Amino acid sequence: MFDIKLSAHLAELSKLSFTETELYEVTKEMNEIVSLMDAVSDFTATEALNTAAAVGLDQIRADVKCDSTPRSEILKNAAKSEKNAFAVPKVV
Amino acid sequence: MSLKELIKTATLKELSNRLKNKDFSSVELTAAYLERAKELNQKTNAFITFNEAEALKEAKKADEQIAKGEAQTLTGTPIAVKDNISTKNLKTTCASKMLENNTPIFDATVVLKLKEQSAVILGKTNMDEFAMGSTSETSYFGAVRNPYDLSAVSGGSSGGSAAAVAAAQCPAALGSDTGGSVRQPAAFCGITGLKPTYSAVSRYGLIAFASSLDQIGTMAKTAEDCGILLNAIMGKDNLDATSAATPFSDSLSEINRGVKGLKIGLPKEFFGDAISEEVKVAVFKAAETYKNMGAEIVEVSLPDLKYAVAAYYLISSAEAASNLSRFDGIKYGHRSEIGETYEEVIKNSRSEGFGKEVKRRIMLGNYALSSGYYDAYYNKAVKIRQKLRFEMDEIFKSCDLILTPTTPTTAYKLGAGDKTLTKIYSADICTVTANIAGLPAISTPCGYDAAGLPIGMSLVSKAFAEPSLIAAANAFEKQFERRGAVL
Repeated sequence: MFDIKLSAHLAELSKLSFTETELYEVTKEMNEIVSLMDAVSDFTATEALNTAAAVGLDQIRADVKCDSTPRSEILKNAAKSEKNAFAVPKVV
Repeated sequence: MSLKELIKTATLKELSNRLKNKDFSSVELTAAYLERAKELNQKTNAFITFNEAEALKEAKKADEQIAKGEAQTLTGTPIAVKDNISTKNLKTTCASKMLENNTPIFDATVVLKLKEQSAVILGKTNMDEFAMGSTSETSYFGAVRNPYDLSAVSGGSSGGSAAAVAAAQCPAALGSDTGGSVRQPAAFCGITGLKPTYSAVSRYGLIAFASSLDQIGTMAKTAEDCGILLNAIMGKDNLDATSAATPFSDSLSEINRGVKGLKIGLPKEFFGDAISEEVKVAVFKAAETYKNMGAEIVEVSLPDLKYAVAAYYLISSAEAASNLSRFDGIKYGHRSEIGETYEEVIKNSRSEGFGKEVKRRIMLGNYALSSGYYDAYYNKAVKIRQKLRFEMDEIFKSCDLILTPTTPTTAYKLGAGDKTLTKIYSADICTVTANIAGLPAISTPCGYDAAGLPIGMSLVSKAFAEPSLIAAANAFEKQFERRGAVL
């Protein structure tokens, strides 16, 4: 059962913030969604099933040095930049 | 016939041939499409961004190549691109407020490949936000409307690409398919949509939703056109570690093969109560057509299909929760003005930038991955994925193709009406298995409901069997009388 406490915990993990009303609404929706996901609980398999990587990565490319993208290009889509770097609020 | 009239029905193949024949120039063709696309966009809302100035420049360059006799298949042909595929210097929004002002500094590999052929990028098509949805209503830029009925949904998430092709706003388009996002809107909008084998087309530059399921696909009026576009974009790419070289160099190599001698399986689980009578009748009729063309039709079974939707949503949401954690408002994307600390800025940016459906998927993904729930949900879903792959492999030991409906119903009204979240999610039952198993699948129209809305059927084949898959769809299309959209 999905309750407000679990929703608040997941919102924290998801780096999302909700108002109290929104959180109530999300909890209701998540309960509905999780009831559909609960279908997997009935699944049992007799054979051994692989749970490792879903996609084979057997053709890794050679480790070749390439030019970096210029900083000015990278910063083009940042909302805030200063001194040729991303700008963030003061951390310490 | 005037160019304005011609583009209403012309296929990509026909336009390519006529450009080389110099019946008209690429500049004239591009201008005609831009005019039509912009005018009809007020009705369909299929495009988010038009690439007008650049498209005409690209068309001029293409004309020069044609004049020199250096044209390739797609030289000068206008192509639309879904707005989650990165285009250098052309806004790529993923239909989200989060990326409303995002202008990529590089091209996705598929876009680069189109440009290498001197195809003309006409614009970027509307979609469900971050490709999460099956109606194209979750777009920050408003819902896409179905050209067959403007009060109905286009399907999604590649709804803009599907509607644009159906309304002849472009001759062909790229979409992306994580759980049916190419095939389902193709079915709703009465066009053909191809999801290639996982890894056949590079995902470099496709804004990631669920990396183990995402696949760029092609959408056009015919299966042959889908193959033409696939030929241009497929192949090994060092920038995508999961990409593979296709064992075929031409997906159209068997185009005229027909279906004589092929064994087509109808999995009984795809024809249950959830599928409307009109859809069932149309798909069974298509099976009859195949039988008359010399194919053998057999009933097969996919016993664990009942777990497919839940497994798909758990895996895709888990991967989305991880992939979308990159959107912090700092490096790119929407940045909130509210927040004193680094953590607050990130949280507020994400909360303001993402829409409701995206937030739900991130929450579900983190739920499935979190301590105490991981084994019950994510781990179980991965096991189901493996089991479904075994079951598909088993079917392909005795069958060449699988035939199913693409959607349980035809397109429904905008606003979802009585549809709950679980009903909307459950409607993906016909398409998700191909993604889960990494197999190629194609949807093509096979009928119309009482209201005149298109019904789609899907063919699925074993991995890298695109040539026979496209040939089988093509064979049916030659027998089926298609109706145009109302526009």
